[in-house]
Amino acid sequence: MDAQACPVNQRFWTPGVVVLAFLMAAGAVAIVARFVGGIGYVSNLSNARPWGIWVGIDVASGVALAAGGFTTGFLAHIAGRHYYEPIVRPALLTAMLGYTFVVLGLIIDIGRSWAIWKPMIFHNTNSVLFEVAMCVMFYLNVLYLEFAPIVVERYKGRVRLPGLLAIFNGPAEALLSLADAVLPKIMWILIIAGVVLSCMHQSSLGSLMLIAPTKIHPLWYTPILPLLFLTSAIAVGYPMVVFETTIITSSLKRDGEMHILASLTRITIFLLGFYMVLKVGDMVVRGTYVYLLDGTAQTNSFLVELILGVIVPWVMLLCPAVRRSRRALFIACTMIVGGVLLNRINVFIVGFTSRLSDGSYFPSVSEILVTVGLISGLMFIYRVLVTYLPVLSGAHQEVSS
Amino acid sequence: MMKTLDRARTKRVAALVLLAFALVARTAAPAPAAAKAEKLSPPQGWVAPDRQRAIERAHENVPFVSQVKDECFVCRQQRLRNEGYGIDDITDACFLLDSPIIKKRSDQYMPVRFMHSKHAAALNDCTVCHHLRPADPQGKETSRCVACHRQAFDPRHPDRVGLKAAYHLRCIGCHEQMHKGPVDCLGCHDKNVPDHNRLVELPDHPKPSQVTVECLRCHKRQGREMLKTAHWLWRGNSAYTMGRRKEVQSGKGTNAVNNF
Amino acid sequence: MRLNRRGFFKVVGAAGVAVAGTGQNAGAWHSKAPKDPYGCLVDLTRCIGCRKCEEACNRVNRLPPPELPFDDPTVLDTRRRPTDKAYTVVNRYYTGKLDERSKLVPTFVKIQCMHCQDPACVSACIVGALTKKENGAVHYDVGKCIGCRYCMVACPFEIPAYEYYDPITPRVMKCTFCYERISKQGGLPGCAEICPVEALTFGKRSTLLEVARKRIKQDPARYLDHIYGEKELGGTSWMYISGEPFESVGFRPLPAEPIPRLTETIQHSLFSYLWSPALLFALLGGLMWSTHKKQNTSEKGGES
Repeated sequence: MDAQACPVNQRFWTPGVVVLAFLMAAGAVAIVARFVGGIGYVSNLSNARPWGIWVGIDVASGVALAAGGFTTGFLAHIAGRHYYEPIVRPALLTAMLGYTFVVLGLIIDIGRSWAIWKPMIFHNTNSVLFEVAMCVMFYLNVLYLEFAPIVVERYKGRVRLPGLLAIFNGPAEALLSLADAVLPKIMWILIIAGVVLSCMHQSSLGSLMLIAPTKIHPLWYTPILPLLFLTSAIAVGYPMVVFETTIITSSLKRDGEMHILASLTRITIFLLGFYMVLKVGDMVVRGTYVYLLDGTAQTNSFLVELILGVIVPWVMLLCPAVRRSRRALFIACTMIVGGVLLNRINVFIVGFTSRLSDGSYFPSVSEILVTVGLISGLMFIYRVLVTYLPVLSGAHQEVSS
Repeated sequence: MMKTLDRARTKRVAALVLLAFALVARTAAPAPAAAKAEKLSPPQGWVAPDRQRAIERAHENVPFVSQVKDECFVCRQQRLRNEGYGIDDITDACFLLDSPIIKKRSDQYMPVRFMHSKHAAALNDCTVCHHLRPADPQGKETSRCVACHRQAFDPRHPDRVGLKAAYHLRCIGCHEQMHKGPVDCLGCHDKNVPDHNRLVELPDHPKPSQVTVECLRCHKRQGREMLKTAHWLWRGNSAYTMGRRKEVQSGKGTNAVNNF
Repeated sequence: MRLNRRGFFKVVGAAGVAVAGTGQNAGAWHSKAPKDPYGCLVDLTRCIGCRKCEEACNRVNRLPPPELPFDDPTVLDTRRRPTDKAYTVVNRYYTGKLDERSKLVPTFVKIQCMHCQDPACVSACIVGALTKKENGAVHYDVGKCIGCRYCMVACPFEIPAYEYYDPITPRVMKCTFCYERISKQGGLPGCAEICPVEALTFGKRSTLLEVARKRIKQDPARYLDHIYGEKELGGTSWMYISGEPFESVGFRPLPAEPIPRLTETIQHSLFSYLWSPALLFALLGGLMWSTHKKQNTSEKGGES
């Protein structure tokens, strides 16, 4: 805990940030087109393929890859490993922004964006999607509240809004004081609730596709799909933290925090191994290995997902040399992240077939622009927030590894 | 091709028959008033007597047969043949299949004129249509369709089809099986074209262009289609005129003001 | 550390056992199918492909006019699916059956919402905009819909269509079973009313099953002994009988298991009364409390 978190004090408009801004602008154009011409105007979605990459990547993968937030929160706060404290704030910020953009993606994807509040009034408790929506909604609020102390730490007693907004200085200050008084007392509830809500909807995202037994390829359609989703989300949590920490520390030339990342990956060996055993075991028990050599897009995608996304990185992590090498560790963790990403894409898009109607689907350019734009927006806001808020630990600033 | 020719011939024959009927009717009818005698068309409201009879018959109230005799089809065929049922028992040569039961649900087409005698003579087997008889021994051996087949989807008789379906199933089924007779809608029906006297709004002495505009008011699609035909474009080939085939590819449609 | 990880696994394992356990106690799931619904029996041997049903459907549901008129026979040359502008379509299949003149005999198949007894879309709908009515219709309430299209993902018959080109108020479009019409005494769905050959028979589902069995029994040469929709997915309100194998005329073999059974069993056994989240919350709370207590004592011990 010697590395106190502090705002990043570096040149903001680096070439990377400019590229992000450009992609954001392109995505914004596509989003405007979606709200002018309709979903059909910008996307390749059809009656046979109602869900595309906006659900498969923006929502499902977004939720999975934001799992770093609750897994590190569990480790540092519930299990009491304060050693991992430096990575909690970045992971929390990633989760918060990740879920914010999941909701933004949903708003773009659903046909009646203005009606997104309706599940709060009209309940269908039989619907898996209803449960997912409720969990995501509550969890997003939990994440904001968990993040609030960071804002309080930075701005309490220092609220200086510019120009006319200065009249809000008083109320903002009062709000921060209130948060400062209340939040520490209920933080333990929020932390546990965050883990519980995450477990609920991470698994339920898997149940989502169980409603379509005739459409999902048997390689993925298994009654334990929710369990696989949960375990893969838990397994991908720490690799995702390694992945983003490595990217951030190298792009901002900060301390690599290798000691923390290396021990995180030791836990990952068990978590990923558990997921691997479940996934392979499920394949063996249900006998779906017969499809493996079909040579179709689905089976090839499954093979890539299983071998390059799970087995190879798991074997890599077993080697102490990999865990010590910053580069090798990054590669292994990127493969795990990619494996889970591909798994979500496979379940929601590749493995989804419609045999009665022509269900061929490949995302359109504007569809991809929206997704890329949203991800760029996430990264951009991340960069903005770490500039103003104490998120990244800054003890060894400017020490290149 | 064969079928089309067949049908054309049938139509021609039907027209001749109608003409003959009309002539017969004219001679048989009492001499009309001297002022109207010059007109060739029949007076307003006049209906040929056999048609009048068919219309009345179509609207007759027929007692409902709720129970039918349980009899195998071949037994019935044999029995009717043995009992000597045949074309001589026919009282009406043609029917108008125009029951109010059908009109209640839909009114897209004009009723079919069914030539009972002609069909009976061609088939020489009453049981093809009169496939069952009432269970009541007093009932008629060959009941009318409407005696059993009424409103569709009657919950008391779920396995009986309604009158409209009974007609269609029997007619189309038989025509398909025998490869004789029409199987499409307009082969038997005339379209129930709404009375255009009420729909068309034109001044007393309209200009030709006014008439066109008035037609296009409703028939927009036909108007668009007309613009693609050789009649409008003065271009293309006259594919439908056998032995008079010619092709015009220059003129009004492409590179000239008109084709004169 | 090890203890904590084990604790963590325990929770995950408990969730896993609960999920796996649902396979066994699936008997707890109850069908929510209406007792005595209406239905429609489609007799493919009768259909003549006149497309009057499409025309009537278009009229009674006030759908936009089609590109090609309803009496244009070329429409049948392409295989179509229901769209947001047509709730029902008739397709022509040549199964290879020949008549006595060696001409291919077409089989016409009308498709529309099957109005399942236990519909996947109804179970899936996040807001309950889709409901299975007592009279058998799967009814869509646009006032609740948010446009998530999960119903379309769920539908095994790939029926619901979407107004993709409406940016603000798109609707899910599918056959309504003419809900308002059949709710009235003696009311018929538009398509069944118009059908000239009663290829569509409307009535109580139980009656229709008897009718179908009787037709098959009376003419076994004409029909296959299979009522599609009697058992498929727990039964559907629309059912088909055919003279040609169903696979060859655009139908897929489907299990008798109602689709919502698995997900609803998982959801309710895991989340009824929120017992599992509550349990997980308690477990984690206990773990958090114990670690903090341990750390406090060790810190105190270190200080002293």
